[in-house]
Amino acid sequence: MKLKNGFVLREVAGSTVVVPTDAALNLNGMITLNETGKILWTALTDGADTDALVAALLAKYEVDEATAREGVNAFVDGLRKHGFLEE
Amino acid sequence: MTGVLDLQKNLYRVADLTVEMETFGRTLAQAQPYRTDSSSPADIVIRSAWQGLKEKQPHLSPEECEYLTTGWSFYNQLLDFDGMMLHASAVVMDGRAYLFSAPCGTGKSTHTSIWQRVFGDKVIMLNDDKPALRRIDGTWYAYGTPWSGKYDYNTNMRAPIAGICLLARGTVNKIAPFGGVPAVCALMEQTSRSRNGGPNWAKIAAQLDVLMRDVPVWLMECNMDDEAAILSHKVMSGKAE
Repeated sequence: MKLKNGFVLREVAGSTVVVPTDAALNLNGMITLNETGKILWTALTDGADTDALVAALLAKYEVDEATAREGVNAFVDGLRKHGFLEE
Repeated sequence: MTGVLDLQKNLYRVADLTVEMETFGRTLAQAQPYRTDSSSPADIVIRSAWQGLKEKQPHLSPEECEYLTTGWSFYNQLLDFDGMMLHASAVVMDGRAYLFSAPCGTGKSTHTSIWQRVFGDKVIMLNDDKPALRRIDGTWYAYGTPWSGKYDYNTNMRAPIAGICLLARGTVNKIAPFGGVPAVCALMEQTSRSRNGGPNWAKIAAQLDVLMRDVPVWLMECNMDDEAAILSHKVMSGKAE
């Protein structure tokens, strides 16, 4: 699981926005990340797999593993749907 | 198309920047009030580049392609000068600029025409479609530019920005401060209308981050009554309770 190249996170007035770095790419609707999304995106950039993503959430939040895994799966599904993943 | 296009290369002063532009037709005509004799080197250079767009959008005329591509070139380069474009209808009243932004067809120009109806000659149409915004010595200014939409509604001047208001159609008039994710998304979507040639999103995000810290942003639902203009003016100018 790897994020496609060409997207970066930018902080805009307190919101985290995913923006293309490649000028040829258009915004396909605006994507913003909440605090959890930011943690997961950053971990993915560092090459995390699903287990590492779950671990990243467990390290940060007081949730059980099943809940964390559910959150990770939903996030990854969202990324896939928006075309952010290289399969 | 007949014959050779009559390209003219001139120097212009737009948004306090020296612009060298080679162009023709409507773009040349709309840029006329911005001509300068300045001998300072150009900050921004714009070359005629309508052919590329014409290939992708054959239904557009060369003039329309030229107008769009020169505008994209200007606003993309503006990002390197503490500036950005906002898709908005911008008016000046009592020395300050009021920007009304929204997706196409929502009624930006309609709202500013109500301002003109209600406040008369006190209102100056700065730019009806794509004002340039620049931060100079800590103050954000809106500028008229030759790129102002379907009609040549712009004035070669600048004014400090009183506020930016996102418009939505409504049956009653109400206005409130606008922030957070919805405001960021709405403004990002109105910061570049470019679908060809590509905007630099990372630079736009950086400019917008500063703009949203410095300038009040509002969300307004409005109808077409005089009261709509009276309300947006009262709240955005700071004259409300």
